[in-house]
Amino acid sequence: MLAYIKAWLKGSKVNKLKRQLKDPYYQYLFDVEPGVFVCFDCETTGLDRKKDRIITLSAIKIVNNEVQTSQSLNLVIQQPEDISAESIAIHQIRNLDVENSESLYTDEFEAIKVFLEFIRGATLVGYHLEFDIAMVDRVIKPRLGMGLPNPQIEVSGMYYEYAMQKYKRSCIEPNIDLSFDTILKNTQIPNFGQHDAFSDALMTSLIFLKLQQSISR
Amino acid sequence: MAITQQREFLSQIPPFDHLEKALLNKLADSMDVVYLPHKTLIKFEGPVTENSLYLLIKGKVAEIQDDEVTYRYSVRGFFGDTDILGEGNRLAHYEVQEEAIAYKLPAKLFLQAFEQNHDFAHFFNSSIVEKLNRIHEAVQSATSTEVMMDTVCSAPLQPYVALDKESTLHHAAQLMVERRTDACIVEFKDAEIGIVTSTDILKLLAKNEPELASLRLDELANRPVQTVHEFDYLFNALLKMTRFQIDRLVVRGDQGYRGFLHQKDLMSLFANQSGLVLLKVEQAQSVADLVVLGEQIDGLIANLNRKGIKTHYIAKLVNELHRKMISKLVDFLLPEHLTDKVCIFVMGSEGRSEQVIRTDQDNALIYADDLTESELRELEAFATSFIAALQEMGFPPCPGDIMLSNSDWRMNKTTFMEKVAGWFKNPSDENFMHAAILFDAETVFGQGSWLNQLKQTLQHEKERYSNFLRLFAVSVLRFKTPIGFFGGLVADSESGHEVIDIKKGGIFSIVHGVRCYALESGIEKTNTHWRIKALMDAGVFDKEFGIELGETLNFLNTLRLESMLHQLADGIEVPDNKIRLSELSHMQQDLLKQSFTVVDDFKKRISHHFALDGLL
Repeated sequence: MLAYIKAWLKGSKVNKLKRQLKDPYYQYLFDVEPGVFVCFDCETTGLDRKKDRIITLSAIKIVNNEVQTSQSLNLVIQQPEDISAESIAIHQIRNLDVENSESLYTDEFEAIKVFLEFIRGATLVGYHLEFDIAMVDRVIKPRLGMGLPNPQIEVSGMYYEYAMQKYKRSCIEPNIDLSFDTILKNTQIPNFGQHDAFSDALMTSLIFLKLQQSISR
Repeated sequence: MAITQQREFLSQIPPFDHLEKALLNKLADSMDVVYLPHKTLIKFEGPVTENSLYLLIKGKVAEIQDDEVTYRYSVRGFFGDTDILGEGNRLAHYEVQEEAIAYKLPAKLFLQAFEQNHDFAHFFNSSIVEKLNRIHEAVQSATSTEVMMDTVCSAPLQPYVALDKESTLHHAAQLMVERRTDACIVEFKDAEIGIVTSTDILKLLAKNEPELASLRLDELANRPVQTVHEFDYLFNALLKMTRFQIDRLVVRGDQGYRGFLHQKDLMSLFANQSGLVLLKVEQAQSVADLVVLGEQIDGLIANLNRKGIKTHYIAKLVNELHRKMISKLVDFLLPEHLTDKVCIFVMGSEGRSEQVIRTDQDNALIYADDLTESELRELEAFATSFIAALQEMGFPPCPGDIMLSNSDWRMNKTTFMEKVAGWFKNPSDENFMHAAILFDAETVFGQGSWLNQLKQTLQHEKERYSNFLRLFAVSVLRFKTPIGFFGGLVADSESGHEVIDIKKGGIFSIVHGVRCYALESGIEKTNTHWRIKALMDAGVFDKEFGIELGETLNFLNTLRLESMLHQLADGIEVPDNKIRLSELSHMQQDLLKQSFTVVDDFKKRISHHFALDGLL
């Protein structure tokens, strides 16, 4: 019964979003592709969801147990001029993506359109995903009339469930550390080095695969 | 960006490091990351182009053929190349033994690299020996070459000056000044040579010798002259100088003599520790100095090994140092009036100069038959303090108590002889072991001739008991070679690691087997490599087999040394003989398997030669 209500609620939420969609071209975002996951991560100018902007966005598709790094999406968005060169340097966006002019976008909506094409109906995966989605939604809402409708999986939530398995029969309320580094360490995923959007998305993908495996078992 | 990480990862894995940058990047950018949970099975099926090469980022994967593990792969290892290249109809599959993460490189791109880059293709086509040599080369070119391993002719040599024996000292001095050298060779008949040096002239002057200038060289020349071949290693030259306590060596070539190598020129080449350690032993003033040196030697070993120097040479150098240290120690501790009444010798691996990391000590002492009660008490006190000091220097005590502090191994000459003869009258495993280590013994201090007499007793008794060698050789077969029917390695599981005891698995059989042949042929050399060489010279082993056996032993010893260095680095004080398979590269595992095949062949040969069938 509960499951039925949940499904109905979800369905009505999706229907609501469908009604909000201004541009029918993006209907494809609603065509859920089972078994296809996209892990994504953004580097932004700051943490204010209203004011700050996306500088880089990396997205990687996960199909079965494979993280398709060879077909990853790495977008770089040119910032309004008042943002200093130093700040860009901090985010490590120089080399590859500037070289690869295809992924350097002057208009942020143009960049996000490529991202939408990439994810289509996939389930979105991320760490503190809500923030990254909010950053994308800020860009698309004015044009599409809605935020991202895709199903979402939060890896820190998965990790919480995974860590709680140990305490199933215990009555203590454990204090579980959900920081990225702790999760990385406890899931024994190798650290791929510096924190940029791509590495974070890759590591998050691997955490996701590992936890998916562990929880289903 | 992490794509650069994929490029970096790939560029560090031979043979991918041979690829030109554009191709390497293309390959790296086409890689996906795959998560492989424990027990995942990977099979190569369907068209080749749909398969991939797997490069491990983390975890362990086993290659399995007919239910037997034929390979193990770990971090930076890769598999699938043989499947993609379609070498034979392989039925192997792969199983994840420890949760793994790997890069998957599409076969299409791998094949492209294979077609475009000759070096790259050659790597997969070439034989194991070639692969190994390339690893050696890579190691050596990565670091600057150790001067010690350069050849003598690369050092500055003084010009060769020679006169016949009838010449005068004046003549010699003139020639030395003219040619700017400080030594002159004196030629006797039958190509025998002597040497006169500037030091000799100085001493004669100091003695105010009359008619100095007209002295004849044959009266003055020092003989014999120590020589070194121009293609020998510099460290061998240095060893010779320290062993004979001389300042120069005559360098010989294949056609006559080339010049002089002077110690000061040699030392100027050694700007690093390796040469200095050798000299420091000579300069040590106290037991404490020797303790410090012990620690430096461990650093030296690790250094030489890293530079890709063969374990056999490292062992030779280290054992020379050990013996010098021991003999220095005796100098410090033994009362002077006893020095010519004893013979102190090392046995077993130390006697063979094969112990690199100090894991054991076997030593004994023979004293003169006529020592007084008080002298015996002094000797006992010496024995106790000697063993205590050795322990401080990093030689762990012998678990079987085969040390000169034990009165069973500190005896007068006559009793010792009787003891040895007794081993033959009452054959037992223990007595065989004693005979074996005594046969490897070498004198470190004192009356070397007494040890030789002891060894002659050994030879003599061996002749008397005709069945002895047969029983002695049997222990070659005691341990099973850890190799399976299909040629895979058979490992033991130990706290989650697959390990092989490499001493039991191979080294022991080679060392003891060669010892049996040497005892049979009356070869006096103690080092296994020298014994093999002597057996080749005597025609007992054909050349090919001898070389193969020697190289096999070298390889096994190298693996053991590396494992021990690892263990030392992990803080284990007395490392064991076990090697972890997951820490070996694909190539090393390949060679290990080949090595064990050689060991097995050698065992069969011994079985046949000493008629061991039916004894076990």
